[in-house]
Amino acid sequence: MLAAAPAFTARRPRYGGTLVVEDGEAANSVDPSAAPANAAAGEVKTQVDSLIYDRRAADGTFSDPGPFRLAQWDPGKEAVLAANESYKGGRPFVDVVEIRMATSVQDRLADLELGKTDVAEIPADQTRRAQERGIRISRSRPDELIALVFTAGGRPANDPRVREAIASSIDRAAIVTFILQKEGEAAGGLLPQWSSGTAFLFSTAADPLHARQLWSQIPSPGAVSLGYDSSDSQMEAIAERIAVNARQAGISMTLRGNPGGTNARVKADAQLVRLRMASALSQPALAGFLNVLTPAAGLSASETSLPDSATAEQIFECEAAVVRSFSVVPIAWVPEVYGLSARVRDWDPPAPGEPLPLADVWLDEIDAPTKKGNL
Amino acid sequence: MTFRGKLFWMFTVALVLSIALIATGVTIVARKAFDENNTQHTEALVAQFQREFLSRGQDVARRVQTIANAEATVRMAIDLARPTADPSIYVDDARGVSQAYHLNVLDFVGSDGTIISSAEFPARFGYKMPWIKSLTEGKTIDWVAQGPFLMKIDAQSGPTVALLAVSTVRVGDKNLYIVGGERLGREFLSSLVLPVGMRALLYLNLDQKFQPADLVDENGPIDQAERFAPSIQKELQQPIERKFTINWTSDAKNAEEFHETPLLGRQNEVLGILLVGSSQREVVILERRIRFLAALAVLFGLLIALLLSWWGAARVTRPIQELAEAARAVSGGNWDTRVHVRGKGDVAELATAFNQMTQQLTDQRERLLQTERVAAWREVARRLAHELKNPLFPLQTTVENLRRAKEKNPEQFEEVFRESTGILLSEIENLKTIVGRFSDFAKMPQPELATVNVNDVVRSVVKLFEAQFGAVGRPPITPELHLEEDLPSIQADQTLLHRAVENLVLNAMDAMPAGGVLMLRTTHQDGKVDLEVSDTGTGLTPEECDRLFTPYYTTKQHGTGLGLAIVQSVVSDHGGRVSVESESGVGTSVHVELPSRPPQKPRPPAAEEKSQE
Repeated sequence: MLAAAPAFTARRPRYGGTLVVEDGEAANSVDPSAAPANAAAGEVKTQVDSLIYDRRAADGTFSDPGPFRLAQWDPGKEAVLAANESYKGGRPFVDVVEIRMATSVQDRLADLELGKTDVAEIPADQTRRAQERGIRISRSRPDELIALVFTAGGRPANDPRVREAIASSIDRAAIVTFILQKEGEAAGGLLPQWSSGTAFLFSTAADPLHARQLWSQIPSPGAVSLGYDSSDSQMEAIAERIAVNARQAGISMTLRGNPGGTNARVKADAQLVRLRMASALSQPALAGFLNVLTPAAGLSASETSLPDSATAEQIFECEAAVVRSFSVVPIAWVPEVYGLSARVRDWDPPAPGEPLPLADVWLDEIDAPTKKGNL
Repeated sequence: MTFRGKLFWMFTVALVLSIALIATGVTIVARKAFDENNTQHTEALVAQFQREFLSRGQDVARRVQTIANAEATVRMAIDLARPTADPSIYVDDARGVSQAYHLNVLDFVGSDGTIISSAEFPARFGYKMPWIKSLTEGKTIDWVAQGPFLMKIDAQSGPTVALLAVSTVRVGDKNLYIVGGERLGREFLSSLVLPVGMRALLYLNLDQKFQPADLVDENGPIDQAERFAPSIQKELQQPIERKFTINWTSDAKNAEEFHETPLLGRQNEVLGILLVGSSQREVVILERRIRFLAALAVLFGLLIALLLSWWGAARVTRPIQELAEAARAVSGGNWDTRVHVRGKGDVAELATAFNQMTQQLTDQRERLLQTERVAAWREVARRLAHELKNPLFPLQTTVENLRRAKEKNPEQFEEVFRESTGILLSEIENLKTIVGRFSDFAKMPQPELATVNVNDVVRSVVKLFEAQFGAVGRPPITPELHLEEDLPSIQADQTLLHRAVENLVLNAMDAMPAGGVLMLRTTHQDGKVDLEVSDTGTGLTPEECDRLFTPYYTTKQHGTGLGLAIVQSVVSDHGGRVSVESESGVGTSVHVELPSRPPQKPRPPAAEEKSQE
């Protein structure tokens, strides 16, 4: 869904030009056979994979050339893709896609503002500021779940009162309003309202009084540690807010930031995580979540089993079972927010599980960004 | 203890006491001076801290007021005053503004006291800051008039103490509070200029109990902070300025004295404590140097005392020793001893007095001798007159009878002449006997020593008098001999000894006119031979006992008073002693003690003179 995009005069798409894309991430594997020799040992974004390959085979290998080919590869920094003239779906509009990796949010915003980049992912809490700076904003549907996952085998995971007390103390509305700057929605379930249609049935209201009562029933509760990715400022702010909420409810909570990211979590009683929907459909999306959450949170496999042809009711029951266990505490649904330059045309934010629509994008002849790569 | 020893100890004690007093006095003065200097430095540091505190507070207040006056803040206040205000868009503003104004504490607080944005605790948005709207005497606080103040606040990293100032932006009936400040911490201490040997510590009262991590210096938490726990707890309970000392090690020079100053908040609650520590190293080293010097002075003093006492004692005791030797000489009979008088003073006076004393003793002895000589001559004259008077009277009467017989009865003259010449010859014989006795006494010879057994002497004397013991016409006297068989022989003059025993036996016989028992006993002890001659006569009075050995003294009608005087002379010449025990009506015992060998000593001058006479 393209949201908040300014109105444009209908024009004919044109071929040519270099599309500059900036992203904050830098690490993902690529099929070595397709990469240039000097990049054999390097990594490119998953998005790159989906641009240079059309599909992924059942065994996990990529097959069929995609709309672009890898022209230049600078591991962790830059990837240059050239248009595949013989792509079966037709040649892309742009000649070159230049992907700059590992750029900071401030750099991305500045480059967008200065017209040095065409597409850049920006954090949801920076949306208002980006808009104030005149940057075009494109939002996906809220497809990323921020959740608190109690670690399997940890002390709080063994006592549901601890989990419920913490879950009850969290003020989701304040998190969405202040930290996410209203870019998202409070999450009560494991699926967003737009996907399942039943999310409204899960309460998102905070109940610090109940939390305090529960906590007071626990003998010698001790402090609960909360781990988070300290390189993600948004996650850090949310973690700090959860700790403040917990403290206001009388719960002692300590924060353990992990600068290494979510892939190398510090040992903590609970982890604050981001979970991206694998599909816009409820069943595969929930199944994807459960694949991750069941071992991480120590969920009962029988309660969380979900058949491929699950009905909406079964999906809700499964979702409710997880939520009622308080082993996973949904916090908020966040959209993917992209900043776009003024010359980007026909951009549609990708749906969950889909690649960036770079093959469909064309560039208007205004304010060409500074070229930083060579074909 | 000798005088020299006493003098040495006297000098030593006096010196040690003097040096100890001086060292103690210097130490006390030095410590007092150091303490005063320390106090001045501490007060200066505390004043510096207070000035810095005031200066920082004014600076914080100025910066907070600048933020309040900024266009963006006014716009925020206007925006938040709207009924449809969305405070969420300002949630991150405090962080940026605080960095721009170098404040590590900054909060934008809504009119109802709700935190809109917080730099030190970003996640605390939406919660209340109750004290911002608290009342003072029923009125809201005039924060401008309040000025900067200390307060304990919650921050992301935990509670902390900050120097705060509050400004307000009023839009309509709504206020936007800007709370800004600087955390009180070690960076505050780094602005202080510390004299050498001093350090400043800051304790922030962040927890219920003392926490070592809350005590910092300019470099961070300090080592062994728990040592401060008792004094800090006391300060938290009763916030007054006080001092205390911590001995970091057993060595006193590592001690440190601390001055505590409480840092109070708006409600006079203790939020922190400033501790100014001053090392005791310098003063302890100074005290040790003083003690070391005092010890050196004592050692030097001991040496001086030793030398002085040696010299002084030699100077003072030499005359005294001379006096002591002179006194011993006087006691030995040498009354002519004199000491040399040196200089003036007590010892010289003593020597002069000693010389005067010996001079007087010599004079008195001379006078006594003169008196005794006169008395002796008088006694001799008396005895001679008495002895000579008795024979002279018959001589005179006989001569007168002869003259009358010649004139009146010439026919009987021949018969009278014959009888008278008989009487005359008899009396002349008596006179010769008297003269002979006196002559014998005057001619007592020097003993000629030979080995003598006293038992043999006793037996020969008893044998000599055997006839007289049982003589017809007088009551019998029974001799009893108790002679020790193994009596050792002695060196003595047998003739003189025989004569002395004769006189003793004669005296005993004279004391028993009615007869009795004459007992002679010999014993020996410690190399000396004792001879006891006892009678069972009438005994003597104590006065008679005292004078018994005086020459020419006698208790008998016809005695010369020379018998016992001869006994004493003989015994004395043999180095012995003679004594008398007597009990009236029971008898008298004379004890003679003779040494195995007479001592070699010169005869006393008086005796020599007497013998010469």
